[in-house]
Amino acid sequence: MTARLDQRAREVLADEDAVRRHDASVFDLRQRRDAAVAEVPDWEALRERASGIKRHLLDHLDRYLERFETQARAAGVRVHWATDAASANRIVSELLAARQVRQVIKSKSMLTEECGLNPVLEARGIEVVDTDLGERIVQLAGEPPSHIIVPAIHRSRFEIGALFHRTMGTPEGESDPERLTRLARADLRRKFTEADAAITGVNFAVAETGSIVVVTNEGNADLGMSLPNLHIACMGLEKLIPAMSDLPVFLRLLARSATGQPISVYTSVVTGPRPGAELHVVIVDNGRSELLASDGHRGALGCIRCGACLNTCPVYRKAGGYAYDQPIPGPIGAVLAPSLRAKEGGAELAQASSLCGSCSAVCPMRIDLHGQLLAWRRENRTAGALERVVTFVAATAMTRPALFGAAGRTAANFWSLLGRRFAGNPAASWLHGRELPEHPGESFRAQWLRRRETPK
Amino acid sequence: MVATKGNTEVSAREEILGRIRLAALHKARHPGQHPPPALPGGWETFAGRLESVGGTPHGPVAGAELRRMAFDLASTRAGDGRIVAEPTAADWLGPGPWQLASDAAIPHAYEDVAVGFVRGRVACAENGAVAVAGSDATSRALLVLCQHLVLIVSVDSVVPDLHAGFAALPADAFGHHHLTWISGPSKTADIEQALVYGAHGPLTLDVIGVER
Amino acid sequence: MATERDIGLFIPCYVDQLAPEVGWATVRILEHLGHRVHYDPEQTCCGQPFLNTGAAGDAARLARGHLARFARFDAIVCPSGSCVATVRHRFGELGFGEQGDEARQRANTFELGEYLVDRLGTPDLGARFPHRVALLQSCHGLRDLGLGPRSETGPDAEPVRNVVEQLLGTVSGLELVPSSRADECCGFGGSFAVKFPEVSTRMGRARLEDFSAAEYVTGTDVSCLLHLAGVRAHTGTGPIPIHLAEILASGLGEAKAS
Ligand code: SF4
Repeated sequence: MTARLDQRAREVLADEDAVRRHDASVFDLRQRRDAAVAEVPDWEALRERASGIKRHLLDHLDRYLERFETQARAAGVRVHWATDAASANRIVSELLAARQVRQVIKSKSMLTEECGLNPVLEARGIEVVDTDLGERIVQLAGEPPSHIIVPAIHRSRFEIGALFHRTMGTPEGESDPERLTRLARADLRRKFTEADAAITGVNFAVAETGSIVVVTNEGNADLGMSLPNLHIACMGLEKLIPAMSDLPVFLRLLARSATGQPISVYTSVVTGPRPGAELHVVIVDNGRSELLASDGHRGALGCIRCGACLNTCPVYRKAGGYAYDQPIPGPIGAVLAPSLRAKEGGAELAQASSLCGSCSAVCPMRIDLHGQLLAWRRENRTAGALERVVTFVAATAMTRPALFGAAGRTAANFWSLLGRRFAGNPAASWLHGRELPEHPGESFRAQWLRRRETPK
Repeated sequence: MVATKGNTEVSAREEILGRIRLAALHKARHPGQHPPPALPGGWETFAGRLESVGGTPHGPVAGAELRRMAFDLASTRAGDGRIVAEPTAADWLGPGPWQLASDAAIPHAYEDVAVGFVRGRVACAENGAVAVAGSDATSRALLVLCQHLVLIVSVDSVVPDLHAGFAALPADAFGHHHLTWISGPSKTADIEQALVYGAHGPLTLDVIGVER
Repeated sequence: MATERDIGLFIPCYVDQLAPEVGWATVRILEHLGHRVHYDPEQTCCGQPFLNTGAAGDAARLARGHLARFARFDAIVCPSGSCVATVRHRFGELGFGEQGDEARQRANTFELGEYLVDRLGTPDLGARFPHRVALLQSCHGLRDLGLGPRSETGPDAEPVRNVVEQLLGTVSGLELVPSSRADECCGFGGSFAVKFPEVSTRMGRARLEDFSAAEYVTGTDVSCLLHLAGVRAHTGTGPIPIHLAEILASGLGEAKAS
C-alpha cells in the first residue's frame, strides 16, 4: 500500500541527525534565495518575462534550433544531434575514441547524469573525473548526486573527510571544510592539467549567435574549457534562448533561485572554439520532443535546473534525494521522470507530493509543477485497477446522499476498530506514526437533522 | 569522420526536428525586452556588492596612482610568484614587474602564475560582476589558473543592472571565443554549506576602478 | 431569490464526520452576524480527493452534484480552504467554464475566514482565548485562495492581507506564536498521507516541533489539523490543534436549537 519512495525514505528517516542536518541545510538554501529575491524590485516581472520568452522559444523550437546550428557552425563549432541517451553517449565516446583520449575532466551536467554517460566512457577505458567538488565527492563515494546543485548535501564533513582519507590519502581525521576543499583543489588541479578533453553541460544556448553559456561558482568548467584542446558540451534541446538580450533575464533569476547569489561567480558565454582547439556541441532530445508535443507537460521544458523547487519541497528535504531513485530528484525530477525514462518507477513519483504548491510558487520559470504532477496522476490512472474500483464505489456513495449519510453513521462504529493496530487493518498506513482522531459519534448532518427542522 | 556515423547524425537531426514540427504548438509571441529595473548604479554600489561576493574593490584611482596600486597589489598578493598581465591591462598599467601574456603560449604555461592582471569591459552594480571580453583575455586559462586575479575597469563602465550590462558591451565583445562575467573569487559550499573561497579558480579577486 | 444574507453552508466530509463542532462554530458565527444559514443535508463531497488521485470522471460527477445543490445561494461559506479552492479554482480542470452562472457560483464560494475579512470587514465577535497560539497556514488556502502572504513571492507581487492573523487579532487574550517556517506544509496532502506515511508524519512532527512554544495550533483546514492531531496523539507532545472557527466562536453562545 505505501509507496516505494516512502519505503526508501524510511531508512533515511531512521537517522534523526542526518534528517535534521539535511532538512536544515537545504532549507538554508531556500532562505538565502528568499533574501536575494527580496532585493530584486522586479522579481515577479522577471519570472513572467522569462516564462514568456521560453513559451515563445518552445513554440518555435525547430526554427531556433536551426538558427543555433547555423550560427554555431559559422563560429567553428561542430554540432551533433542525439535522439536519445544511448546515441548521445555513443557520439561522445566516439569523439573521444577518435582522438585517443584517456582522461576527461567533467563539470556538472545533469544531462550526462540523465544519460548515464560516465559508466559508458569508463567501460571504454577512459578515466572520467568529475570536477565540481560536490560531484567529485559523490564520484569518489561511488554514489549518484542527491541534489542537482549541491550533489553531496546529504554527506557530513566527517563522512567527506573519511572519504578523502580513504581515496586521496589526505590526513586522517581532517574534517574542516576549508582544508578539505584545498586538498581536493590540489588533487584536481593535477587532473585538470593532465586531461586530454573536457566535457561540460550547457546552461543556455543563444540561437542568435550560436553561443553556449556555462555557469559555475568553482571555475571548474572554465578550467576545462581553457586547458585541453577538446571540449564537448552536451545540451538538452530545450536549453535554447532566442537572443543575447534575453540572457540577462535568465541569469538574474538562476543563481538567486539556486543559492541566493546575485549571479554565479563565472558566467561564460562561449562563441566558437578556442583558437587551435575543437568545440563540439551535442544536442540531445531523449524524451523532450515528446514532452513538447503534450500541452499538459510542455511547461516542464522551461526548467533551468536551479534546484529551488527541491530546496523548498518538504518531501525532498525530509526524504532526501535518493528516495526518488531517479537522476533528478525533487518536484522537477518527479515531473520529468515519466518522460525521461532513465529508470523504472518514475511514474509513482507523481504521487510523492502533498500538493502544497510551494514548488510552483518558488520556480523562477513559473512552471506549474504541482499541476504537472496532477496531470501525470490523471494520465497514469489505468495502472491501479483495484484502486480505481474502490474510488468509483466511494464516489458513487458520495454522489448519493442517503448512502453517504449511512456510510457516515456506520463509520462511527468502525472507527474505534480502525484505530487499533492489527494485521490487515486498512488504516494501517495512517497509523504509522499517527493515531486516528477520536470519532465524535454523530455526524454534523445527523446533529443538524436532530436539532433543526430544515425548511425545504 | 566516418561516413556512416555522419549519416546517422543527419537522420537524428531530421528525426528530432520532424518530431518538433509535429508537436501542436501555439506560436506564442516573444514578450519583448525587459524594462530596466529601478536599481542603483555607480562605483560605490558596485564596490559594496563586490565585497558581499568576496571580492575586494580598490579605488577609484587615476594615472600614477593606478600604477602604484597595481605594484602594491602585485607584491602583497604575489610574494615571489610570477606576475602576468594581459596586453590590454598592461596598456593601462604601463611597465611593471609583470610579464605580458601571449596568445601564442600554450594554456598550461600559466599554471604557476601567482597574480594575473586583466582588463574588464563593464562592471555590474547589481551583482558585483565584471565582464571580461575574449580580446582582453587572449589566454583564457590565465583567468582561472592564476592564484590571485586583479581586474581593472573604468569607473565609467559601471552599469546598474545586468540588462544594461549586456547592452553596454561593445559589438565585438563576443567575437573572441569567450565573454566571461566574473563575480568574486571562485568558491564552493559543497561541504556542509560552509563557504570556502578558492575552489578551482583564483583564491582572491581584486577589482581596481580607474578614472580616465 | 435568496439575498446576500442567505448563506449556503458547505460542510466538507471531514467536518461532517470527524469535526461537527467546527460546523456548529461556523453556524454560530454566521448567525450571530445576522445571516440565515441554510444547510442542505443532501450535500456531498466536492470531489477533491478524486481530483487529486486523478479520477477525473468521478470528480466531475461530484462537482456537478455540488454545484446543483448550492445553485440558489448568492454566497456559499465553508470552514475549509482546500474544499473552497477545489470549487473555485479546480473545477476548471474538469471542463467547467469560466463564465456564466456556474462560474459566478464558484466565485461566490468562500472560506469562512475570507468571507469574514473580505465581505464583512473583520467583525469583532467578542472572542476570548487567553492562550499562546501558533498558526498553520494551510497550503491551498494560502497558495490557491491567497488567504495570506506567501514566503516565495518577490517584492513586486500584489500585497495580500493575512486573513487568519487579522481575525486572530480580534481575539482578546490570544498571543500569536511566530513560526520559523511561516508557510511550510504539515504533510497531510490527502492520499499522500496514506501512501507516504513515513514522510507525511515526519513532516507533521516537524511542524509540531516548530510550534512547540504554543499551547494551540490553529488554521482554516480541518484535514490538516486532524493529521497534526493524529501525530500529536502518537508522539504525546506539541500544541493542541483547534480550528479557527472554534476560537472565533469562543465568545458566542450555543447555536440555537430552532
Ligand atoms: S522546475 Fe523551476 S524551480 Fe525546479 S529546478 Fe527547474 S527552474 Fe528551478
